[in-house]
Amino acid sequence: MLITKNRLPKSILIGLASLILPLGAQATSDTSKNMHQLYEDNCASCHGSDHGGFIAPGLNADSLKGRSPTALRSLIMTGSFDTLMPPFYGRLSDDEIRGLVKHLQTTPKQANPAWTIDDIKSSIKVYVKDESTLPAKPTYQINSMDDVIGVAARGKYGRGSGSKAVFINSVTHKQIGEIPTGTAAHIIDYNPANPRWAYVKTDTAEIFKVDLYSMQAVRSVKTGFNGPGLGVSRDGKYIMAGSYVPHNAVILDADTLEPLKTFELEGVDPDGKMVSSDSGMIIGTPFADIFAIALENAGQVWVVDLKEGFPVTKIEKVGRHLHDAFLSHGGSKLMVASYDDSIVTAIDLKDRKIIKKLEAGCVPHVGGGSVVEVDGRTLGFGTNFGDCDKMVVSVWDLDKMEVVKQVPVSGGTESPAAHANAPYVAVDIISKDRRARTIQLIDKKTLEVVKTLDVGGHAYFPEYSADGKFLYVSAGYSGDEVVVYDSSSLQKVASVQMESPAGIFSHGRVRYMTRGLSSDEMKGAK
Amino acid sequence: MRLSVLSGLLILGAAQSVNAASIYAGEAKAAAVCSQCHGIRMPSADAPFPPLAGRDMDYLKTALKQYRDKTRKSDIMNAIAGSLSDDDIGNVAAYYAKLKQ
Repeated sequence: MLITKNRLPKSILIGLASLILPLGAQATSDTSKNMHQLYEDNCASCHGSDHGGFIAPGLNADSLKGRSPTALRSLIMTGSFDTLMPPFYGRLSDDEIRGLVKHLQTTPKQANPAWTIDDIKSSIKVYVKDESTLPAKPTYQINSMDDVIGVAARGKYGRGSGSKAVFINSVTHKQIGEIPTGTAAHIIDYNPANPRWAYVKTDTAEIFKVDLYSMQAVRSVKTGFNGPGLGVSRDGKYIMAGSYVPHNAVILDADTLEPLKTFELEGVDPDGKMVSSDSGMIIGTPFADIFAIALENAGQVWVVDLKEGFPVTKIEKVGRHLHDAFLSHGGSKLMVASYDDSIVTAIDLKDRKIIKKLEAGCVPHVGGGSVVEVDGRTLGFGTNFGDCDKMVVSVWDLDKMEVVKQVPVSGGTESPAAHANAPYVAVDIISKDRRARTIQLIDKKTLEVVKTLDVGGHAYFPEYSADGKFLYVSAGYSGDEVVVYDSSSLQKVASVQMESPAGIFSHGRVRYMTRGLSSDEMKGAK
Repeated sequence: MRLSVLSGLLILGAAQSVNAASIYAGEAKAAAVCSQCHGIRMPSADAPFPPLAGRDMDYLKTALKQYRDKTRKSDIMNAIAGSLSDDDIGNVAAYYAKLKQ
C-alpha cells in the first residue's frame, strides 16, 4: 500500500518502518483485544478511553451506526480538515485501519473503568528525587516570573514528540523551555504561593509538576484516563483534578502529588434524574481556602473546603451540561457556563448560592473568561460556540449582574482575552471555514468589533502578556505557530514555532486571577 | 536607457504572466489541502510525510501533475492532486517554494 515509500527521504523511511513494524506485528492476529490497544494508543486521548467522546466525538457502535466503513477508512487515512483529526496514513497500516473501523462499529460505549486512589498513588513518577538540588532562581534571564507564558502544544497526533508544554518569555518572545508530555498538553496552571511551580495536565489526565526555574518536570501522576479539570489552591498546598473517564475528581498534595481524597461525581440533575457525571472546570480562588468543581452532567457546582475531611457543599440546578467558568470580585463570584441552557450562572462563593442566571448566546464556552473594569463598571465577556443564527459575544455588568450588550461577531467563539492595559478584548472565531483563521477585537469602551486579524491555522485561545503589551494567539491545528501582536497597534511582532499549539496560559494570571482584571482586584480579596 | 527600462518592464511582465501564480491563493490552498499532512514549514516530527517548504517550484509542480494524471502512483496523493486545477498547482508550488523551513 505504501507506494510513495521509495520516494520518501531515508530518515523518514526508517522512522516509518520502526513505527509500522511493531504495530503491524501486533495486528496480525486480528483480535479485538489488539484493536482495543490500537484504539487506546492512537485514538483514546481525544475520543475517550470509554469510546464515549472527549474533545472529539464518541466512536462506538451507536454513534457510528449506518456510517460507511469506506468513508470512515478514508477519514482515518486523510484526517479531517478543519479539525484536530490527523491523517493516520503511514502511521497505521491499511489492515489496521480496516480493523479499527470494524472494531469501532461493533464496540458499545464502555462502562466507566476504575481508577482508584491506589491506582493514582502508584502512578506517581519521580524525575527529581531531591528538590533541594534545584537552582534557587531561574537559570535563564527573566525580569519577573509573571512574564512567563505557557503554551499547550498538542503535537500533530495528540501524542509523540510534538506534545509538550512550551514556555516563552513574553517580553522577548523567545522560548525559554519545554516539557515533553507524551500526550497532548491541555491545561497549564501555576502555583500562586511559589512562582517556580507550574502544573501541566494532558488529555490523558496526567499531571506534571514542573520546576520553571530549571525547566524540567520533577514529578508526574496519572489522575484518570481523560479530562482537563485542574485547579490550584490559593495557598499553593493542594491541587484538584477531575476526569471525564472515570467520573471522579481527586485532591492531591501540590508538593508530592500524593492523592489525599477522591470524589465520585454524581448527583441529581436539573431535571430530577440521578446521574453519574463528567468533571467540568475546577478552580481555586484567592477568596477562600476552597475548590469549586462543576459536575457537567449533574448540573451542580460543588464547593470543597480545604480542611479536615474535605467537606463538600453542593449547589444544585446550576444549569444543564455545565462546562467552564471564571471568577470575579476578588474571587467571591463564580460565573459558570451551561451549554444546554445557553446561560452563565453567577454563584456567590461566600453564601454558596446562585445569584442569577444570565443570557450567554448559544452554547457558552467561556474558556478562562475575561473580566475588565471599564469606566467604573466590572464587565465580564463571554464567548460561545454560537450554534444558532445569533453569533454574539455577551457582555455582562458583574456588579449588577445584568446583560449590558450582546456584541455581534463573525462566528462562534471559544475563548476571550482582556487586559487592564489593553484597549481591546480579543475573541477567537472558530466557525469551520476561513473564519477559523481569524480573531476579532472588540473595543472595550464602545463594545463594537473594530478589527479582524488573520492569524492563520485554526486561531484560538488568545492571551495577553502580564503587562498587557502583547497579545498571544495560537495558530493551531496545522498552523503550527504561536503569533504575537502588539496589543495597541495590532501589528504582528513575533512568531514561535511548535506543533499544533492550543491553550495559552500567562503566569500573570495568578496575580490577576481572571484575564483582564488588574492586580488591584486581588488586594480586595485579602 | 529608456530601452533598457522598457525591456526590463517587458521581462518583468513576461515573468509575471508566465508565473501568474499567486502565493496568496497558494497559501490558502496549502492551508486547506496540503498542510494537514505536510505542515506549512515542517511536517510533524512524528509524521511520515516529506516537508514541502523551500522545495524547487518546478519540482513541486511536476510532482503534483504526475500525481494528478496518475503517472506517479499514491492512493492518497492521486486523490488529493486530482482535486487541483493547473492554477491551484502553480499557486501551491509557488507558495511552498517561497517558504523557508
